[in-house]
Amino acid sequence: MGLGFVVGIIGGFLIAHAAFSTIQYRGELKIMEEQFTGPPFNVVIELLVGLGLCLWAGLAVPTKFLSILPHSDENRVVSLPANLDFMVFNHRGKVLPSNPDLKLKI
Amino acid sequence: MATQDKRSDTSDFPEIVNTDNLQSNMKPIYYSRTFLSIIGGVIAGIWGFTGFTGFVFYFVVMLAASFGLAAKAKFSADSYFDSWNRVLLDGILGGLMSFVLFWTFAYDIVHIF
Repeated sequence: MGLGFVVGIIGGFLIAHAAFSTIQYRGELKIMEEQFTGPPFNVVIELLVGLGLCLWAGLAVPTKFLSILPHSDENRVVSLPANLDFMVFNHRGKVLPSNPDLKLKI
Repeated sequence: MATQDKRSDTSDFPEIVNTDNLQSNMKPIYYSRTFLSIIGGVIAGIWGFTGFTGFVFYFVVMLAASFGLAAKAKFSADSYFDSWNRVLLDGILGGLMSFVLFWTFAYDIVHIF
């Protein structure tokens, strides 16, 4: 998320720099009394790189998509709260033979 | 037998979806498209597009945005949205107005004043 922001800011800065360059270029054209046909080549490259970076940032910064399927791993029902209401100790398991040395299988 | 039939058509659209996530998935799409419309408008203004070319540029940017959003959804819209239209078409017309606003704004600043 931080990287996306930085990339977006760099892209914005490149575009602003391209704007300044174009304003300067137009000023020079006015002095030489020529027509404006398009920004100079390096400004075009700057704009395209800025567009690419902002495209990437604009897609990466907003939060990622959350799955809507009910059976996916991320949508599992949250586990029960771990308080005494849900812990039952007085059950029939106490008559079963148990091995206290068994390791817990997680 | 009836339950078995029901289970055999799980390939169809699931009837139960997590609607919270469905709603909240609309937000990144909206934010991305609005941001990219604004950036596209500023670039079109700086570049000096007038008339039809500018709108063509807007749709090129939106095409790239649609591709990016589809990639973000890992090309399987079914696990994040209820239809492909949401990923590919939603928000294009709304972004058009922001695009034109920033396009005229940037064009005025760079080329007129």
